[in-house]
Amino acid sequence: MTPTLNCPECQAVVQDYEAFCQSCGARLSPTAAPPTQAAASADPPSSQTRRLVERASQATLCLRCGGRVDADGYCGQCGAKAPSERDHFEAAPADWVAGVCDRGQAHAVNEDAMALWADADRAVLVVCDGVSSSSDSARAALAAAEAALGTLGNAVSTPESDLDAAFAAAASHANLAVLEASGSQPDNPPASTIAIATVTADGVRFGGVGDSRVYWLGPQPRCLTADDSVAAELIGQGVPREVAEESPQAHAITRWLGQGTPGADPRVGRFQPDGPGWLLVCSDGLWNYASSAEELAELVASLGGDDPAALARQLVKWANQRGGHDNITAALARVRP
Amino acid sequence: MASFESAVYQNEYLPDGGTDVNAIVTISCSQAGQAGQTGAGDAGEIIIVDTSGSMGQSNMEAAKAAAMVALDNILDQTYFAVIAGSHKAYLAYPVVQSGPGMVRMDADTRQAAKRAISYFRADGGTAMGTWLNLAKSLFDSVRISGNKHAILLTDGENHNERPSQLAAAIQNCTGAFQCDCRGVGVDWQVPEIRKIAQALLGTVDIIPNPADMPRVFAELMCRSMSRGVASADLRVWIPQGAQILFVRQVSPSVEDLTSRGAPVGPLTMSYPTGAWGDEERDYHVSVRLPARSLGQEQLAARVQLASGAQLLTQGLVKARWSADTNLTAQINPEVAHYTGQTELAQAIQEGLAAQAAGDVATATTKLGRAVQLAEQTQNFDATSKLRKVVDVQEAATGTVKLKKAVDKADVMALDTASTKTTRIRG
Repeated sequence: MTPTLNCPECQAVVQDYEAFCQSCGARLSPTAAPPTQAAASADPPSSQTRRLVERASQATLCLRCGGRVDADGYCGQCGAKAPSERDHFEAAPADWVAGVCDRGQAHAVNEDAMALWADADRAVLVVCDGVSSSSDSARAALAAAEAALGTLGNAVSTPESDLDAAFAAAASHANLAVLEASGSQPDNPPASTIAIATVTADGVRFGGVGDSRVYWLGPQPRCLTADDSVAAELIGQGVPREVAEESPQAHAITRWLGQGTPGADPRVGRFQPDGPGWLLVCSDGLWNYASSAEELAELVASLGGDDPAALARQLVKWANQRGGHDNITAALARVRP
Repeated sequence: MASFESAVYQNEYLPDGGTDVNAIVTISCSQAGQAGQTGAGDAGEIIIVDTSGSMGQSNMEAAKAAAMVALDNILDQTYFAVIAGSHKAYLAYPVVQSGPGMVRMDADTRQAAKRAISYFRADGGTAMGTWLNLAKSLFDSVRISGNKHAILLTDGENHNERPSQLAAAIQNCTGAFQCDCRGVGVDWQVPEIRKIAQALLGTVDIIPNPADMPRVFAELMCRSMSRGVASADLRVWIPQGAQILFVRQVSPSVEDLTSRGAPVGPLTMSYPTGAWGDEERDYHVSVRLPARSLGQEQLAARVQLASGAQLLTQGLVKARWSADTNLTAQINPEVAHYTGQTELAQAIQEGLAAQAAGDVATATTKLGRAVQLAEQTQNFDATSKLRKVVDVQEAATGTVKLKKAVDKADVMALDTASTKTTRIRG
């Protein structure tokens, strides 16, 4: 039995392999190799999550004009820079679960990330949004999403597991992944949001840190998650949503994954679908253009179809047509209770 | 085996709504080898000597000596011929009436050709179009696939042809061979000869002193023989919906290539650049794009050097739209430098044309601007040549006075050298 270790800064309990305190983010001196990282990043049993390396041949056609992309990475027709595998990727682990993660128009780097797993009737959807002040955020967000997926994928596919505990563990592993991704800029460490949804036999679970969201777009549309943001705090104080979301600091998040977070534990909730509908996990690059669940439900209805991959692509395209001012991620699960 | 490299100098950042992208693409060639020796096919050289009556005894003798020195510098096995030009063109060597009009160089043919040259005497008029057309027929008669190059020497105006006849001959020869042109003395017309040299991818210069002719011919022939890459084309790809504003060679001299392009596909234009030795050339490419939204990055042009189907090197010209004026407001130093040098060439040529037409006011303004630009772009050669034509009162503002008495050779030297540029880098 090893003695309990405490963070020298905040006195929280820390592990001997941790390089950072998961509570306050303070730098620690690990005395053991990290045992959890391998488990956290391992694919869940029947994972169909497409890893970035497998997408090497994906971008051979230009996303702007459909022309052929030359070996130099630019379209041979319109000259558009072909997105790197990190700039635009899609995943469709099952015919009812799919997502698209896209750089958008205005940002040079895609700091959003997405990781999906699904089988015939269970799914895990994770979306992360790296905070764009650090050059490590793109890497951190992807590592966080995949770490969370690894943990929850294992839990969801293991009968009798405690999913509420798995959500907490997933967020903790994601937080660790963000902390460990702060390589190139020690003075400017990366940070990320996370939004997670699971679909299992006993319904939908959701949770998050920051302002990425989980929506239910069914008979009675609603936003399931509560933002950790200044706007959400204003709304909590009674300011109307439209006013709060337009306020100058609206997008400042009050909790995040990464160094110095006031808390990285997700607020987990459960939900029983009230009919057929879409479960949407997205970053603010999408919901900035349609914040209320009603608007999003109308949008999804107007786009039509029941293919989640096509719908996710259309949602991303729609946000890009509105300016694509931020990275855009939309992950969907078609739910029929 | 020749190896090519390219580098692109540009500011890729465009402001919101910006459309025009300018870049300098430097292409360098090394290990070019020698003409006709690199497997690209046999090389051919033709020496064209003005034998009109105006050459007189002394110029004629110097020209004969120069032609013989040129022969000495042609590599053995190279196909060659010698043309004597007056109001008609005569095939002086090889002495044939039909069949192949060029022979391979060896000790015997070199000696025989020198003997043929020794019989030249100054007589008759000048019809340079006929000289060029004969040269083309000779190259065609042996179907040379490697370098095709000629040296043309003249001393006077093209009296015995209408300008349209010379223009037709130039057109007939364009793409068939390259031609370096030299004028001896001051009785020839720089613009007339420049037209030949520009169309035939050669150089033009004055040889003020006849005694310099042999040295000049030796240098020209050596340079031609050192071009192991027989022919290459500059290819410029632009995106659909874009437009090439201009394509210029800007170093070692300014040549506007824009109108010489031929399409080689829906989005690519090809511009002939002639033969290459171990050298560097700079090209200024200007492209107009449809504006994209802020944050977008795209390719504005692929600038390639190609020999037939073989891509030798490629430079990528990019465009990125940004709201950051610190990025978008900067003018790339190379682009600025060569923009100034191009304007310098134009100011000199327009200034001298105005001076020749007696328009003192325009000549003073243009040559003053030239002095200013030469100073700004540190083209010291242009500055010293300008100072022989104008009195400079203040270089920084371009305040000058035309000199009362000017040596015509200095004016012509300024004119022929007007397109020569200096490089911004070491």
